[in-house]
Amino acid sequence: MIQIENLEFTYSNSNKKAINNMDFSIKKGEIFGFLGPSGAGKTTTQRLIIGLLRNYKGSIKVFGKERKSWGKEFYENIGVAFDFPNLYLKLSAEENLKLIGAYYKSGRRDPAPLLERVGLLAEKDVRTENFSKGMKMRLNFIRSIMHNPELMFFDEPTSGLDPVNAHIIKEIILEQKSAGKTIFLTTHNMTVAEQLCDRVAFIVDGKIVVTGSPKDLMLEHGKKILKIEYLKEEKITSEEFEMNSMGQNENFLELLRNYEIKTIHSCEATLEEIFIKLTGKNLL
Amino acid sequence: MRLLNAIISDIRFQSKQGFYLVYVIITVMYLIILSLLPESFLRIALPLVVFSDPSVLGLFFIGGIIMLEKGQGVIQVLVVSPLTTGEYIIAKVISLSVVAVAAASAITILSSSETINWFLFLTSVVLTSGIFTLFGVVINAGCNNVNQYILKTIPYMLLLVLPCFSILGSPLLYPLTLVPSVAALRLMLGAFTQITWYESAGLTLYLLLANYLLYRYAVKIFENKIVFQD
Ligand SMILES: Nc1ncnc2c1ncn2[C@@H]1O[C@H](COP(=O)(O)OP(=O)(O)OP(=O)(O)O)[C@@H](O)[C@H]1O
Ligand SMILES: [Mg+2]
Repeated sequence: MIQIENLEFTYSNSNKKAINNMDFSIKKGEIFGFLGPSGAGKTTTQRLIIGLLRNYKGSIKVFGKERKSWGKEFYENIGVAFDFPNLYLKLSAEENLKLIGAYYKSGRRDPAPLLERVGLLAEKDVRTENFSKGMKMRLNFIRSIMHNPELMFFDEPTSGLDPVNAHIIKEIILEQKSAGKTIFLTTHNMTVAEQLCDRVAFIVDGKIVVTGSPKDLMLEHGKKILKIEYLKEEKITSEEFEMNSMGQNENFLELLRNYEIKTIHSCEATLEEIFIKLTGKNLL
Repeated sequence: MRLLNAIISDIRFQSKQGFYLVYVIITVMYLIILSLLPESFLRIALPLVVFSDPSVLGLFFIGGIIMLEKGQGVIQVLVVSPLTTGEYIIAKVISLSVVAVAAASAITILSSSETINWFLFLTSVVLTSGIFTLFGVVINAGCNNVNQYILKTIPYMLLLVLPCFSILGSPLLYPLTLVPSVAALRLMLGAFTQITWYESAGLTLYLLLANYLLYRYAVKIFENKIVFQD
């Protein structure tokens, strides 16, 4: 779906490379996440692929064709939700969707189901200037998928949303994936990345440090240890066990038989820990 | 039909933002002022007032419209939609000339009973509106706020409006008609008074060419400054 090779980019008003020799690819039907601290180049990479920045070095292939040689028809199949809401403030939610939808070949669907989905159906006739930030973000989000695009770009899709609404957005993203859509998202939020992404790339200073599935990374960088908390003489006590050949570990089995277990945890690394370990940098 | 949808969108946007209300108020003000003028004075004042509508007003309107679109961030959304820059700009030109035609016609019909050449009248309103809207797009592309826009508009405005006074002066100043606004004003005056067919045809062709070249330039500037921001 997307192939990036030796990508380099420098903003014209700066002499530092914002993207430095980047290679990666995104397969059809995949949710791919870009993680990295502020200023790492996440938005820049997305904007390059979307086609909002030019004069890059290297190659960006989307739908099998170099980005430079696509015309405006490219956008029929692309959905973009920026990290800040951009809406016609004097128009209602429904009018906003219809107005932008009219520019797409397949954008004239009834907006009601999508509005309903993100809890905005009752407010469909309210001018968006009266919306809260979270309501605007939700409207912004459904506008980007309204024309049923094959490939979607989401920049911080859940930022500014309460847990319930963030959950709805995450659910919709997963549904899009089941429908065979490809999704490229950026986020600072490790939980979002873990819950959604098939693969993530850690990016620092315009370079990719590591790519992999969240699960694989967490196992690879974690310790094969089980941490168990149990009640011993009215006090919560904790103990760690090697995961290897646990079934033969008499101490462990005895503990299971004789004590009241409170919690059991495996010690795979969190994405956050891996990030700090690999880059020496903090995410936020 | 993307272009048609873009024109409808623009008209809806302009009406919701209150631009038409401003237009109506200004038109009524003009009508009141014109009704107070003696008949002899009206003959000169009417074409000038009608001319100022698509030109001076148009220039400020297009500025306001693009500033609002930038401020609300919707330009960024249009940039990642199938709507082309050319369609975006043509929709602005057409939507604003529709209003200009409505306002100019209302002022003319309501303040004078004399017959005018309606074909030339409409041609000149539309072509004038085009020129000024396109200048507005060019000026606007590089601006980030209203102050910047006003500051940049003033020199353009002077360059376009001052040469118009050459019409009152000696025929030796005719070459100033190369300034598109002067050509547009001559065509407008022609609709109200006398003009030879060849002069009106020449002015019309010249204004069509000026509109076309400005359109090409506006598309280029818009892509450099707004689409790619480099
Ligand atoms: N318009 C611009 N002009 C010049 N430099 C820019 C511009 N936008 C971004 N940069 C620089 O490019 C680098 C990458 O920025 P980018 O916005 O891609 O980071 P990001 O990973 O998206 O950060 P954040 O998490 O804060 O959104 C930074 O050093 C930034 O200062
Ligand atoms: Mg960013």
